[in-house]
Amino acid sequence: MQIINTTEHMELKKSNISLIELEDGQSGTIVSLNGGRNLTKRLADLGISPGTNITVLRRSLFSGPVQVEVAGSKLVLGRGLASKILVKPQ
Amino acid sequence: MNETKKINVVLAGQGNTGKTSVFNYFTGSHQHTGNWAGKTIEKLEGTLYYKDYTIDVLDLPGIYSLTTLSVEELIAREYIIKHKPDVVINIVDSTNLERNLIFTLQLLELGCRVIVALNMIDIARKKGITIDIPKLQNILNTPVTGTVASRGTGLTDLMDKVIELREVSNDRVSLNYGKEIEDCISQLTDELKGVQVPYPERWIAIKLLEKDNEIVKIIRQIKPEVLEKNKLLEEKLEEIHGHDSSLVIADERSHLAAQITRETVTMAPHRKMSLNDRLDFITTNRFSGYLVMILIAGGMFFTVFSLGNWLSSLLDSLFIGWHEWWNNTVGTSFLSALGWSAIEGVLALIQIALPYILPFYIILYFLEEWGYIARISFLMDNFMHKMGIHGKGCISFIIGLGCNVPGCLSCRIMESRRERFITAVLVTLVPCSAVSVIVFGLVGKYVGLIWALGLYVFAMILIFIAGKISSKILPGEPVELIMPMPDYKTPQLKSILYQTWDSLKEFIYIAAPIVIVSGIIIQAINLAGWMPAISSFLSPVTVSWLGLPAITGILLIFGILRKELILVMLAAYLGTTEFAEVLTSQQMITLAVVSMFYVPCVATISVLWKDFGWKKALAVCIIEIVFAIVLAGIVTRLLNLVF
Repeated sequence: MQIINTTEHMELKKSNISLIELEDGQSGTIVSLNGGRNLTKRLADLGISPGTNITVLRRSLFSGPVQVEVAGSKLVLGRGLASKILVKPQ
Repeated sequence: MNETKKINVVLAGQGNTGKTSVFNYFTGSHQHTGNWAGKTIEKLEGTLYYKDYTIDVLDLPGIYSLTTLSVEELIAREYIIKHKPDVVINIVDSTNLERNLIFTLQLLELGCRVIVALNMIDIARKKGITIDIPKLQNILNTPVTGTVASRGTGLTDLMDKVIELREVSNDRVSLNYGKEIEDCISQLTDELKGVQVPYPERWIAIKLLEKDNEIVKIIRQIKPEVLEKNKLLEEKLEEIHGHDSSLVIADERSHLAAQITRETVTMAPHRKMSLNDRLDFITTNRFSGYLVMILIAGGMFFTVFSLGNWLSSLLDSLFIGWHEWWNNTVGTSFLSALGWSAIEGVLALIQIALPYILPFYIILYFLEEWGYIARISFLMDNFMHKMGIHGKGCISFIIGLGCNVPGCLSCRIMESRRERFITAVLVTLVPCSAVSVIVFGLVGKYVGLIWALGLYVFAMILIFIAGKISSKILPGEPVELIMPMPDYKTPQLKSILYQTWDSLKEFIYIAAPIVIVSGIIIQAINLAGWMPAISSFLSPVTVSWLGLPAITGILLIFGILRKELILVMLAAYLGTTEFAEVLTSQQMITLAVVSMFYVPCVATISVLWKDFGWKKALAVCIIEIVFAIVLAGIVTRLLNLVF
């Protein structure tokens, strides 16, 4: 089950990029979240789920966290977390 | 006689929605705080007398959802389900309707009477956001009203709605989560018919599909067959949607929130760049952001210390004759000396709390209200991650610079117990204002300012290393930062003062008893004449290993009460504040290093004890004592090469 998920994730990776690869000010549509159930649930509670639009407002110095705008509000996401969010750039 | 009627109201909402302002407005002076049973999380309750009603208001912790990932969320959920409040007021940030609605939907699932208060509606309007309130009310099928809690606008209207709602029966039509999910829910609720649990059936069904651990556990005990049925339904959902069924529901909820927002909110076209955007850019930009942070932090400490020193010396001159007066009036017997040490403890608390902690809190809450504190977390996250904790921990460090007690208390904002503990331990190593008195009063004054500042850098490096080590040895995964970035808003004086008062009160409640009691005990040992024995007992450490005068053994014991006592008592013992006459530069630096790290003060230990249990508190003390002694011994030997 886990293996299939990972290969699926690899497949997706070809056409989509992770959130941290978006430029400042660039938007994308969330394609998948590659994290544990607790984490993905927590993100969904904040309005971050597949199909939602997300905009990277700003990244911090030395590969720190990412400031994003999603579901009409601004959030800061840790870098490790942001790298698990796959998006289709617009 | 006119019998008053009682209503139980609960305030629920996410952080930064102005929930506290609503609570303060309603309950004002009729508030009492306590703790949730067995938890270190504050429970705020208050009473309001309105029209013919006695309305009890409870402020739930600010949370983002009703899943059970954190203690706060579990508490909130349990309370609403078990105590069945008459009405739940859901405070919503109007400028972030979509995200807030997800939580509203979860509240509605619980089957309670909900009133949605669209707070900060004025700010939303200013931003060009218009919310169609009647339409929203229609879709959610529950009362919705606009409020501006900071100015009290719309709050009486809100209370009128509470009274109105309480009188109607509670059979609302539930919101629809789409055909497949609703199918599963209705099949499960059929299975659940006749099951004796104090929860609404529809809610249990949803939670089962969401794989909620707590609910699965309960159902397994009562009717395990339901779980088999649930498994089949979960698989069906997973087949259709292609991912875990727990996420199917959460996704559906967030999509529903998005859809409702689209239908009820109209946004005026974006203006080019608002003041908020510009401020946000300057304060979080990768270059100017750090500069502004250094300026703000530096300005904060400069203000607190210069103001603090001035106020402290003012209080000093106020209390100066008291000891003599006490001795003249009560005498100098054993008991009167003990009595004086109790009074001294109270005076000492006043001298720390009033000049240093009070201004510190006011500035801190000003920055918090304004919205700046979240920016620090953003800027520092990367650095803090290297210590195994995330950006929010930085806030506790900053508070710890003022005083370790509120610093440790503030660690409660960290999500997991592991992070709370690591942050608290690191905070105990942060030089607080009392330690700063020693560092600047001794090293800064007699050895040189550069050495004093060097000690701060040294402390920072040590904290960093300690963080790295503790995050390696303590089991568990580091938690990633997920934090809403609030917009800048005009700080409300009333709210700043409320929060300052609350924190100051907490500091006094925790610190006062232990400072007074341990002060009396140490004084008793002193009066019994055991101190010389203790200092000679400690001399292998103080004299042989650290190269300090034997008297420092006693000073370090008193220093556990309050660190700056080390300096105060040294002056009393010497009869002069010209420390350079008795101590070499090397000894001063060594003494400062020991004072910085050897043990948290009693008040801080009591917080560690309260929050993490006595075993961990004791372990931290022992490790820090050994560590500081070893470290200072090495430092003194290295200094041999310099001086």
